[in-house]
Amino acid sequence: MRFLELLWFSAYAELKAESARSYLGFLWWLLEPAMFMAVFWVVFGLVLGNRDPDFIPFLLVGLTFWQWLKSCITHGSHAIWLNIPLMRQVRLPVLLFPLTAVLSDTVKFAFIFAVLLVILWSLGHPPGWAYLALPLVFAVELLLGCAGALIAAAVVPFVPDIRFVIENAMMALMFLSGVVFSLASLPEPYAAWMAFNPVVGIIESARDILMRGQWPDWLLLAKAGIGSLVVLAFAVVLIMRLAPRYPKLAV
Amino acid sequence: MAAPLLRLDHVGVAYQGVRRIGSSGYWAVEDVSLELHEGETLGLIGRNGAGKSTLLRVIAGILRPDRGRIVQARPLRIQMLALGLGFVAHLSGRDNAIMSGMLLGMARREIEQRLPAIREYAELGDFFEQPLNCYSSGMVLRLGFSVAMQAEPDVLLIDEVLGVGDAEFMEKSGGDLRRRMRSGMTCVLVSHQDGTIAELCSSAAWLESGRLVAQGPVAKVMADYHAAAPRG
Repeated sequence: MRFLELLWFSAYAELKAESARSYLGFLWWLLEPAMFMAVFWVVFGLVLGNRDPDFIPFLLVGLTFWQWLKSCITHGSHAIWLNIPLMRQVRLPVLLFPLTAVLSDTVKFAFIFAVLLVILWSLGHPPGWAYLALPLVFAVELLLGCAGALIAAAVVPFVPDIRFVIENAMMALMFLSGVVFSLASLPEPYAAWMAFNPVVGIIESARDILMRGQWPDWLLLAKAGIGSLVVLAFAVVLIMRLAPRYPKLAV
Repeated sequence: MAAPLLRLDHVGVAYQGVRRIGSSGYWAVEDVSLELHEGETLGLIGRNGAGKSTLLRVIAGILRPDRGRIVQARPLRIQMLALGLGFVAHLSGRDNAIMSGMLLGMARREIEQRLPAIREYAELGDFFEQPLNCYSSGMVLRLGFSVAMQAEPDVLLIDEVLGVGDAEFMEKSGGDLRRRMRSGMTCVLVSHQDGTIAELCSSAAWLESGRLVAQGPVAKVMADYHAAAPRG
């Protein structure tokens, strides 16, 4: 209970401090992803000339859900590392730090998602009954985001060098998850391998619901959910195992 | 004598060496057994690198001993006196006080009830609502001390800091802390100042290279400590 209170307040403090650091404050939560999406739209839509009218919603949904996951993991990767000085002064549950990162990124995602909805509606993709399945998609992605953040946070303090790898690994994962272009036309054996990537299930489910107005592929979503749970369980065991070692690390 | 509140039983703590592949660890605390009784103020003395701060962290539960064990008479809240815990420059004094208090283990309600007292004690006035980055360093210290004094652990661990700020606030903060230590609070104090140890502590423990050399009455332990020539 007290842990949740502390988690909530530290996420609030983090968001507030972050928005106080720039002139436009929390507007950047929207502007930054908007700029990021615009780059992809220009490159893949305009320059490479994708004529499919559904390309823009396809891209926006993919990027919105991808960015949430990605920010949880990259932001989470620093979480324990940066807080080692704090952990040397007071006894705190180590999960606090990565979960704070996930929570504050989730709040930002909520804003971006609201904007995404408005854009989709104005592009002619109205809401439907399938929206009822959205919480499930959020839940699966949140599980996966927590899992990724915990693993990254657990490892970085021991091997800070890995931060450089994480950035690029995330980029690779983005292209392998059908965020920017569809993986439907992928030849075997690659298509079979994709079934193991939970991000594909999450993003495809979001597209089914938001663009195609249909229920998600339950089997695909269930696989993503189970996959995320397995990774999360591994992550929690890993971080609890390593927890006593963090206060001893030199920063 | 009553059973000790806290007992260290052959405790040792090893650190890893520098961040290189294949580097080996070293024992900052090798083998320490000591007892802490309720209401006692124990002074830890020893030269730099003797393992005093590491030992405090073990007592606080921040570091888990790599060997030996710690026995508590009952579940205890043990804390280091930490000033400005989790302070963020871009947040107001109020938000920082809440954050810091919660990190010290207080419930949000509890700390919010004490905000007026904190503000008063830190002598911040209207600055309390301003972000920390427009504070002078003395003001930050005052706020940090005021919040830290709100936490009331069963055992307080102090590493040298006995007061902060300018001369006047130093007297006020140091005075309050000393009063609290004398009024039956259980405390472990690390200090290099003989006067402080003699004034506040009911017993002393002398650490040398991660081992306990002596524990007992302050005067005796201090005399032995000074009689021994510094090694190396």
